[in-house]
Amino acid sequence: MFKGLAIRLFGLVILGFLIMPLIVIVAASLTTTSYLSFPPQGLTFKWYASVLSNAAYLDSFLTSTLLALSATAIGILIGIPSCLAIARYDFPGKTFITAVFAAPMVLPYLVLGSALLQYTGYLGFSQTFFALLVGHVIIVTPFVMKSLSSVLTYEYIELERASADLGASQWVSFWTITLPLMRPGLITGSLLGFITSWINVELSMFNTTAVLNTIPVQLFNYVQYSVDPSIAAVSSITILISVIVITLLDITIGLDIFSSRQRRDRNP
Amino acid sequence: MERYVTNATKLLALPFLFFVAFFLVPLGVVFVSSLLDTKNLSFSLINYTQILLDQYHWEIIYTTFRIGIITTIICLLLGYPLAWYLVRVVRSKMWMRICIIILVVPLFTSNIVRSFGWMIMLGRNGLVNDVLQFVHLTDGPIRLLGTETGILIGLVYILLPFAVLSIGTALSRIDLSLEHASSDLGASSLSTFFFVTLPLTLPGVAAGGVMVFALTVSAYVTPAVLSGGKITVLPMLIYQQYSTVFNFNFGGALSIVLLVLTLALVVIANHIGRNKAEG
Repeated sequence: MFKGLAIRLFGLVILGFLIMPLIVIVAASLTTTSYLSFPPQGLTFKWYASVLSNAAYLDSFLTSTLLALSATAIGILIGIPSCLAIARYDFPGKTFITAVFAAPMVLPYLVLGSALLQYTGYLGFSQTFFALLVGHVIIVTPFVMKSLSSVLTYEYIELERASADLGASQWVSFWTITLPLMRPGLITGSLLGFITSWINVELSMFNTTAVLNTIPVQLFNYVQYSVDPSIAAVSSITILISVIVITLLDITIGLDIFSSRQRRDRNP
Repeated sequence: MERYVTNATKLLALPFLFFVAFFLVPLGVVFVSSLLDTKNLSFSLINYTQILLDQYHWEIIYTTFRIGIITTIICLLLGYPLAWYLVRVVRSKMWMRICIIILVVPLFTSNIVRSFGWMIMLGRNGLVNDVLQFVHLTDGPIRLLGTETGILIGLVYILLPFAVLSIGTALSRIDLSLEHASSDLGASSLSTFFFVTLPLTLPGVAAGGVMVFALTVSAYVTPAVLSGGKITVLPMLIYQQYSTVFNFNFGGALSIVLLVLTLALVVIANHIGRNKAEG
């Protein structure tokens, strides 16, 4: 039912609405004019060259990348043992601890950011890379844990037990059974965690400064008072990175998010 | 059991300690600060009464809620048909893949980048004004940046994928034989939709709606960029308190109000989801 022209047209219009602003940004970054223009006038890559020769932008790119990579790495180091404990054992307070690990996903990042500004101020390291890092670890970890816990099922516990029964040591079990089983969850979790950190403004903006800045926060500061095509160029670079991450996700796990229907259709 | 507890402790001790040190305690600090009077640092509810008794703050909370409700309704009205299109209409695997990428790329792009795109499009000589004049809906360029309409467009754009994903998942889980039974028994497409399909997807709609609402009322970047400083919402007020006024006590109270509000909504959403799944 309802497969007619109207719904097809509506679907296409809304998909267009979703992609249009991104197309406009990429197009505007190629204009030869010194102001933002869509459709672009002429075609030039000079705004990309000006971004690449701008030390402030390069510093921010470096900070953002370093921050997202280290936050994801620490997120994995926190996520693996926690998920293993939660999957393997029953212990008092399990529900509470699980809820605490998941909570940053639903908490307004702005609230966490302001809290960390005040708190790291008391501890004497506000507006440092470390202050940014602890916040980013907190928001990255839930994504890692969510993806990990979806692969650590009952079957996993059975396999681990079988391996122990057959005499494998804890470490041999971990390297040969647990880690390979966790791999898809780890890949998805790291990519989601990385991108969460990479695009964040609302948590970072409290602990960034003029010299220690992430790319999204710097874009935010620039956009507030001056807009020129180099901002569109930086934005286009971040869009490209998000496309790369999505392609990686599609290759590794597949983005078949609405797939249960297809399975049911095939076996009625 | 005891051995389990020791093993679990070994694995969990450090990770949980990290979350206590950099998540629970900082939030606790905010809560305690919100209960302190800025002047003499004694315990009082003055920050909360200041929010509740001042008309200015009520107006901001009202604006924040109004924007949240309108954004949520529009996201659901646009999101349901798009989810339907993706789950029920699209057959080609290649096209489906492209559609999903179009849906997910915005989610993986920073709010600031997406809001910036709308800044370009909503300007006096932007694409939206060009189109409006081309189809003769307006005679001259109209002001969109710095208006509530502009903020609404930006927020709907940012949050629509969440609504589509939530509704789409619910739609894809429906057992199609229920719909076939309904039409075999003589129901029209419309009554099958309103009496079978829509009720089955309501948990997904509700969960998506609550999520969109919670994200809207806590959104800072989009309103800040698209309001041009002319409209203030609650998150902007919180940022001001922390970054320019440096009043951590009053800012803390505002944070707690926002936090309680969003967490309450999330709990309600989970509850709806669980009840429907069991029932």
